[in-house]
Amino acid sequence: MMNKKYGILFAVLVFSALIAGCVQPPEGEVKEIKIGIVAPLTGGASTTGTDMWQSAVLAAEEINARGGVNVSGVDMQITLVKGDTETSREGGVKAVTKLITEDKVDLLIGGFSSGITYADQVVASEHKVPFIITGASSPIITRRTDIDTSYFFHHCPTTDDYPEATLLFVNDVVKPMIYERFNFSADRPLRLGVLYQDSKYGEGVYEGIKKAIEKHNLGIEIVSAEKFKMSETDFRTALTVIKESKPDVVYPAAFLNEQTLIVAQGRKDVGLDTIYLSVECNDDPDYYTGVERWGEYSIQESRFSPYAIPSGPIHDAVGKFKEDFKNKWGTSPSMMGASTYEGVYVAAEAIKNAGTLDKEKVRASLAELAMPQIIEVMQNGVITFSPDYRESKFELYMEQLRWDETAGETRPEIVWPESIKETDFVLPDWYESGSS
Amino acid sequence: MKLDRINIKTGIGIVSLILAFIVPVILGINQYLLTVLIITLVFIIYSSAWNLLALSGQASLGHAAFFGIGGYVSAIITNSLGLPPIVAIFVGGFFAAFIGILIGFTCIRMREWFLAMVTFGFAIIAHTITTELPWLTGGWDGIPAKRLISVTITNYIMYEYYIMLLIAVAVVVIIYQLTKSRMGLALEAIRENELEAKVMGINVTKYKLMAFAVSAFFTGIAGALEIHHFGYITPEVYGMDISFWPIIYSISGGLFTIGGPILGTIVITFIWEILRTFGLMYERFILIGVILILIVIFLPRGLVSIPEKIKRSHP
Amino acid sequence: MDLSVLLQILVWGLYAGCIYILLAIGLNLIFGVMKVVNFAHGELLMLGAYAAFWIYTLSGINPYLIIALAMILLGIIGVFIERLCFRPIMGTGKLNEIFLSLGLIYLFQNLAALLWTTGSRSIHSPYSDVSVSIGSIRLPLDYIIIIVFTILFLIAFQLFMKRTTLGRAMRATSQNREAAALMGIHVERMDMLSFALGSALAAAAGSLWLISGQIANPYMGSIPAIKAFAVIIIGGLGSIPGAIVAGLTLGIAENVLPLFIQSFVGLFGVSMSFTAWKDTIAFFILIIVLVIRPTGIFGEKGE
Repeated sequence: MMNKKYGILFAVLVFSALIAGCVQPPEGEVKEIKIGIVAPLTGGASTTGTDMWQSAVLAAEEINARGGVNVSGVDMQITLVKGDTETSREGGVKAVTKLITEDKVDLLIGGFSSGITYADQVVASEHKVPFIITGASSPIITRRTDIDTSYFFHHCPTTDDYPEATLLFVNDVVKPMIYERFNFSADRPLRLGVLYQDSKYGEGVYEGIKKAIEKHNLGIEIVSAEKFKMSETDFRTALTVIKESKPDVVYPAAFLNEQTLIVAQGRKDVGLDTIYLSVECNDDPDYYTGVERWGEYSIQESRFSPYAIPSGPIHDAVGKFKEDFKNKWGTSPSMMGASTYEGVYVAAEAIKNAGTLDKEKVRASLAELAMPQIIEVMQNGVITFSPDYRESKFELYMEQLRWDETAGETRPEIVWPESIKETDFVLPDWYESGSS
Repeated sequence: MKLDRINIKTGIGIVSLILAFIVPVILGINQYLLTVLIITLVFIIYSSAWNLLALSGQASLGHAAFFGIGGYVSAIITNSLGLPPIVAIFVGGFFAAFIGILIGFTCIRMREWFLAMVTFGFAIIAHTITTELPWLTGGWDGIPAKRLISVTITNYIMYEYYIMLLIAVAVVVIIYQLTKSRMGLALEAIRENELEAKVMGINVTKYKLMAFAVSAFFTGIAGALEIHHFGYITPEVYGMDISFWPIIYSISGGLFTIGGPILGTIVITFIWEILRTFGLMYERFILIGVILILIVIFLPRGLVSIPEKIKRSHP
Repeated sequence: MDLSVLLQILVWGLYAGCIYILLAIGLNLIFGVMKVVNFAHGELLMLGAYAAFWIYTLSGINPYLIIALAMILLGIIGVFIERLCFRPIMGTGKLNEIFLSLGLIYLFQNLAALLWTTGSRSIHSPYSDVSVSIGSIRLPLDYIIIIVFTILFLIAFQLFMKRTTLGRAMRATSQNREAAALMGIHVERMDMLSFALGSALAAAAGSLWLISGQIANPYMGSIPAIKAFAVIIIGGLGSIPGAIVAGLTLGIAENVLPLFIQSFVGLFGVSMSFTAWKDTIAFFILIIVLVIRPTGIFGEKGE
């Protein structure tokens, strides 16, 4: 009984082994740079993953069309290889192992969802393959100590960065306007309500809020902090509790579906007429469609928006990227796509500077990289990785949602920082402050 | 005639086992292939353990609780006490078994549907508790887990594969022996008719608890093996898909059999990987759903019963 | 905590309870007649919500009027599920029902994702801007309508079961299938009818869910379904009054209890939010009830 099944078991094992053996790629004499794109092409986060892959393809084609990357006098073309994490840990480990040991990629780009990326990193670190992470928001990525993280370069803002920029804006712009209208004394702290997802991401943002307040000594007090379960759809109880704590501003750390409902239920059912803040991942066409009129005047933190384009030096580059993407794929690129697109350029630049595909030299070259910003605004206009934790620093901006009669939806307009803003922040008439 | 068939089976088994052991020798140390095989072995252990509990008529929809507990306990004690992972996985297993007995106590008097819901609930509760104890479990960030074999050792992946293979073989053999023992017969009697089993003098409570404990023990070991292979553990380990995979594997392979979970794990994994190359996503899950429904209706004994079915229709 | 806040939260709990009750009654009906538990009941709620969404989007009529259409549509789907899936495995053991339901869950969720994407869908109720204030408590008009609708459904359902020939036949089948068959009741037809009615009630729950301003997506059904199971387990399999009491209790408890726990641990200086524990609390209640009474609080003996 048992043995027969063993027979089938091992026959299949051997069969799959043989297949895997046959499809091994030939060892290359071709002069090419192989880059593995680690992204969830299937499973829960497939929309984002597909977007990351498409953006990377666009970047690689652009670079190749210009003759490729000049590596010590030889022009090399970039070849991208798909690594589908299936939005699961098992899938991620399989995909990254295959990219490194089968496809023998020179470099990895991508990585979405911190929980999955943690496991992927172990494989990459073991083989010492440089990995430009463009889609996982946990600061732990480059700070963990159980593995050698010197090969990881984090090119997307972390959950520490979002609240820092957002609260600086609130402190600089929103707070004075509220205080003026309601005649609050300057020493009254601004009352902040937090509603965060019970997850790595939500908790990260909440911790980031606390760190930002302490770091900049902001006159902001957290008057309530409620948690909700991922993909929750009924926020009325939590919002009622938050309303009771009388906040001046409410900061939800939520995903798109949740943010839509929080804002709509808050204003419609609970009557919490306040300024809602929002994390960058919600700057997506679906958000503006879903939130309807309830989102008017709420604040959206962002680094790459489907509708708004920051004025200033990268204005034209962003427009061109969006147009090229649309022409090639028929859809609009998202934020994770934008940083992955840049990731390919960053990799090309680093390899060019290194003058070799040697992984250790490419790593060193990445660590010393300083190149002009591409389609997202960087601090000081330069993409460079910080010496301590190898994080690039984005200039995050704030948008305010305004009603657009022709679209029949709200549209974001950049209101902060000064250098790239399109218009000024407005405190709506219906706004109700917390207690004095 | 009958003797011949058994001999043939034994032969296939032995040949295949030898093949499994020489895979690395034939194909060289192919890390990708070995990684895929290692994950498959983990799920073979896991599905076999789940199937043992099902043998007693208790279908758990929340076995990820034991999978995760085994993993977390093993990771925590390797990190804090410095135990080598190969020892720690058994501690993880024992702890999972202990929790299994506790859960078993709440479940033994329940009917099938209640039990299914309650076990499902335990996975959710385990998840919540894990994320609320950041000082112990690292909360949402998770914690690193030592690799089963240190990556500094040359060809460590090969040793990892052999250890997993040995453990998988051992687990399957132990479960086989258990099902042939008094316990297995008792469990089968309980599944068929609990009242009758009681009348026959079988200590229903004892055997049901034993099934829970043994199943949780091996599930905990599987979970610990997986995270020591990944090198990191996060609360994702309690995911609903982790609870459902062993069910899918066992049913498609053949419930209540020894070979079923093994065959099911391999066949479904194989189908899954092939469909992946076509870039299908929802279609894959739809297919899994359809396979489940069709098997439950038309092939309740799973894939392992196909040869007998064919034999019966062509005598 | 303020009494007005507590009352406000009770209102939200009452609404959640209504959805659970509609789902639980359908489940209970199917169980009563067929002795089958359909774990994929939440997917019927999901399909009902999508049905309501599409009818609304394509026709644009008042969303409350399309509930009936969504119910009929799901009733038909329910009949197909019964005939094609549950009929063939009746009497082959309860484990098979669980596994079959699992297959249905995978099938429906991913079929919905494939056909309609995983993006969220919503309906715009014409009354979404209207709300009645009693003191400091807000009662959005949609909520009042939903609660009234649920009561009407329950009354109609009860009348159908008690006063009509068909309803009586269904009750007879629930009580004793063999005897009912001997008395000339077409029990297989009763099976179909119970599945149709149960699915229709799930569709009503799904439509009301959508109209109240929540969203539809392919995975929306799992959590309400789990709650509905908790409701029938706590209320007792087959007991309609039990389901009503348990549904309301669970809806309110999962909204109010986290706040009580929060205030309680606050006494010890621990500041912690428990609102994310909604599901965990539901399961704790479920487990405690089952440990004390393995058949549920109002549970009838026997199967």
